[in-house]
Amino acid sequence: MVNAMLHQTVGTLQLLGNFGTHYEIRNDSVNLIPRGFKVEVELSKRGIYSSWEGKLGVIRASASQTSVVDPVLAPSNNVTHEPRTKSNETALILIRHGESLWNEKNLFTGCVDVPLTKKGVEEAIEAGRRISNIPVDMIFTSALIRAQMTAMLAMTQHRRKKVPIIMHNESEQAKAWSQIYSEETIKQSIPVIAAWQLNERMYGELQGLNKQETADRFGKEKVHEWRRSYDIPPPDGESLEMCAQRAVAYFKDNIEPQLQSGKSVMIAAHGNSLRSIIMYLDQLTSQEVISLELSTGIPMLYIFKEDNFIRRGSPVAPTETGVYAYTRGLAQYRQKLDEMLH
Amino acid sequence: MVQVQGSFVHPTRMANVTLHQTVGTLQLLSSSGIHCQVGNNSVRLLPKDLKVQVRFSKRGPNSFGEKKFNVIQASASLTSVFDHVLSPSNKGTHESLKKSNEAALILIRHGESLWNEKNLFTGCVDVPLTKKGVEEAIEAGKRISNIPVDMIFTSALIRAQMTAMLAMTQHRRKKVPIIMHNENEQARQWSQIHSEDTLKQSIPVIAAWQLNERMYGELQGLNKQETADRFGKEKVHEWRRSYDIPPPNGESLEMCAQRAVAYFKDEIEPQLISGKNVMIAAHGNSLRSIIMYLDKLTSQEVISLELSTGIPMLYIFKEGAFIRRGSPMAPTEAGVYAYTRRLAQYRQKLDEMLN
Repeated sequence: MVNAMLHQTVGTLQLLGNFGTHYEIRNDSVNLIPRGFKVEVELSKRGIYSSWEGKLGVIRASASQTSVVDPVLAPSNNVTHEPRTKSNETALILIRHGESLWNEKNLFTGCVDVPLTKKGVEEAIEAGRRISNIPVDMIFTSALIRAQMTAMLAMTQHRRKKVPIIMHNESEQAKAWSQIYSEETIKQSIPVIAAWQLNERMYGELQGLNKQETADRFGKEKVHEWRRSYDIPPPDGESLEMCAQRAVAYFKDNIEPQLQSGKSVMIAAHGNSLRSIIMYLDQLTSQEVISLELSTGIPMLYIFKEDNFIRRGSPVAPTETGVYAYTRGLAQYRQKLDEMLH
Repeated sequence: MVQVQGSFVHPTRMANVTLHQTVGTLQLLSSSGIHCQVGNNSVRLLPKDLKVQVRFSKRGPNSFGEKKFNVIQASASLTSVFDHVLSPSNKGTHESLKKSNEAALILIRHGESLWNEKNLFTGCVDVPLTKKGVEEAIEAGKRISNIPVDMIFTSALIRAQMTAMLAMTQHRRKKVPIIMHNENEQARQWSQIHSEDTLKQSIPVIAAWQLNERMYGELQGLNKQETADRFGKEKVHEWRRSYDIPPPNGESLEMCAQRAVAYFKDEIEPQLISGKNVMIAAHGNSLRSIIMYLDKLTSQEVISLELSTGIPMLYIFKEGAFIRRGSPMAPTEAGVYAYTRRLAQYRQKLDEMLN
């Protein structure tokens, strides 16, 4: 258990990005790189601190089992490196894709791989502007082009210098052919993973039909029941429950570990797969999830901290006025982006 | 419609239609065939490999201009020519008839990718488009918005797929591109469409690794300086500019051409032969390889062939031959672009559908 208490003005304290705390005490520097840390920061009233005017108390940092302090003799000035991997706070962005060509025609889409309309393209770009200041280390999409395009279009607006690279594992050749041979370049890459488990709910025999055809073929009430119930699937299709089962399992197995290791993640997917994940993040009941509607093209931000998901709402568009509660970590990340460009 | 004169002579093996008197009307139907209405009967000629010469008789009253008119003659080759269809002679809203002697082939090279911007060797690394690349794709789409598309082939890389889908957002046709999934049984089943009508309104999109960019092996991800340091400037220049020398663990242009052209011949050409209009969205080297085949270029010529990004190239496939038609111009450009009659009529039909 590490307790660092500073009662007098002995040095300066600087919060680095969203990770860790850098202490400079006289001529020594110590970087705390916490893993599973609970960091309460209270600053002594009596010191001179440049950043804030709030109440200042005593600094206390307490840690769990594994080795905590990694002394690094490093200068405390302008840090140009990327935030370090072991962190106690990471961002999770969820984006639902915008209008597809079958939305426009009012056809049941499900897992049919239909691309975006002009409007859907614009929605994706707009979503990108809203998240341009939020760190992204990894991207997960479904196996359908409308979600993949949404992710890639959104990232054209991102201010970070890293480049999304779609991973290919479908065959040995695909893997070998997509190899990158430069360490530098790999470090500047954001892996993009496409997973069918994040696909839209599979609508079985309704796929491709319009409202009239489905009413004729199956009857209005039946169709309404399939659309609005939690556990009744259409013929050859999935219920929302079945969709949730495979989407949440994928999230827990593949996405949550990334968040735990400190990576900020973006998920670009569909109405039902995202609802399912939100049901898990917000611990909703099946009744609540049925009435949950996600706007298209409006990203949702969660902060993953100490194994909890804290919903932070939707980042505002650059042209909107509004109050959006950045965390300190996110605010400093944004500041660093500004500094890098000037 | 034109008033024609003549009498109708029934065909045997060679069809000769000679109309000498004003017995009916003759109407050219968009791309294929001629619809004759004689008396109360309609006959539609659905030529397969038909040579149609249309000349109009001088002696009748004709609504068109003042030109010289002669006798109509239509001659046909072996297979049965006449497909008697009793149908109204009005303008058909149906699509171009399946068996056609002319199909459009559009080639589009994707625009700027994020690694182009950074000057890194890309090859088969799956890097997406920049803002500029997105705009180039949309611009390309505006240029081909009036050219029919029945099938789309792309590479397995997102920058080509996005280029195709972005281009198609500009297309005037009502059909919807649908990406085919065959990677496993579940993918196939899950992407099933259960409405005949909807299927008819679909443009299948097939992603094929054989249309990928040339695989650059150990150069992938390196910038110019790194490659010069690691391999030496001359070697790198040689790999980039030669026809048959591959970089370490990579493909030569020859190897790329081998798999791209084979794919084209096996999978794409049959579609063109069956009358389908095809769009291919791919990469510099895979498209060069295909053009080498279409235009019968030598390896020397193909090395110096540069394709503009985002500017579509049009070929007409007709009677087994590929005729290069250049690049359709942007809506805002002034220029001369030689539509074929069929393409012009297709465009006209699109205009009519919207008004």
